[in-house]
Amino acid sequence: MNNNNHSASGPLTPAEVAFLCEAQSVTIIPRQRLDGLDLIGGYIPPFHPPQRTTIPLWLALLLKRQRRCNIVPPPWLSAPNIERILKTETENQNLFCPDLPYRWLETAELLLEGCPDDLGGDDGELRVLLRGLREVRQGKVREGLGKLEATYLQMNNLGLLEITEVRGFAKGVVDGLRKIGASTGVGLVLGWMMMISRWGWCFISMVFWTG
Amino acid sequence: MSYYDIDAILTDAQKVPCTFEITIPGLGYLEGNSNIDIKQGTRVELPLWLAEMLGVSQRLGTEQNVISLDLPPALAPRVQNALKANPCTVDLRSLASHYYSLGERILGLLEEDELVDILSETFKKRAAEIADHAHNPQGVISSGGEFLKGLDENERQLFKTAHESAKAIRAFLSDRSSGKK
Repeated sequence: MNNNNHSASGPLTPAEVAFLCEAQSVTIIPRQRLDGLDLIGGYIPPFHPPQRTTIPLWLALLLKRQRRCNIVPPPWLSAPNIERILKTETENQNLFCPDLPYRWLETAELLLEGCPDDLGGDDGELRVLLRGLREVRQGKVREGLGKLEATYLQMNNLGLLEITEVRGFAKGVVDGLRKIGASTGVGLVLGWMMMISRWGWCFISMVFWTG
Repeated sequence: MSYYDIDAILTDAQKVPCTFEITIPGLGYLEGNSNIDIKQGTRVELPLWLAEMLGVSQRLGTEQNVISLDLPPALAPRVQNALKANPCTVDLRSLASHYYSLGERILGLLEEDELVDILSETFKKRAAEIADHAHNPQGVISSGGEFLKGLDENERQLFKTAHESAKAIRAFLSDRSSGKK
């Protein structure tokens, strides 16, 4: 993977976001017996098919590719649930639905790619719903970026991949506004506050020493 | 802003109109004719770095300033009014290639509270427009060409950032759904 995207998208590229996402746990139904694995990242308990176990997503995807297990999709990733969330999102134009996990987009992508047959039968419908959900939320992000200020931006319940998408741009705008406003009263006060928070302890300790 | 930052250097090189308040011997070459004193009241366009230095210095032992600074044409009231009317139709790049950086520096030297508001508002409005263009590569050629040509250096950077992060996400998602690695 080339990493010249770093400057553009901030500290993380989409591929790295997906990599981080693979560390989260997922429930599987193993098809084969496996002794416990002692990995650096943690201990993988032995598999006793058809008992369910919880393992990291990357291992689950690997075993799935080798047809050694079935992945149990997380409860939120089902067509009816996504449809419900999509409805909430469309009805509340100034709110991101809090029922989605932080890594929803990348988890859904990885699972749709890795185990489309485990997702309750109709992965095509799920794909359409997720695309719709993403577009609705992108629209809201766009709306929110139009209201950027020099000091403050709040978008609750935004996913990590969605944050990665807007981080570079939002950073540029906020920085630009801060520089333009730097000569006014607010800017000066902000500058002072930043300086005080940085040097405050030095001053206090100096006073303490000399006093 | 780093010492070797090319944008900072180019910002420094932008011209500002100045009026000399006192006669200075031997500085005539600033006007283009060498070996002649520069007279009081002469108007010269000086690069920002020099104007900044002279603007804050005073004649030794007096309250008299060496030069007085004027607003550069890029920030003149006419342009301010145009920005107030519709920020997105003004070609900032033809006014100054580092428009906002120039504005910041001038604001540091002159007290212009209204200009701060105008610049912030302009930047905000144009940034929203830039985001739209950056996410929509088809629309750029047809409708937004004129606007995008008029972006200043800072805004170009912003456009590039927005465009590339959108592109990276799109590439990532379409790679996945088409089953490629």
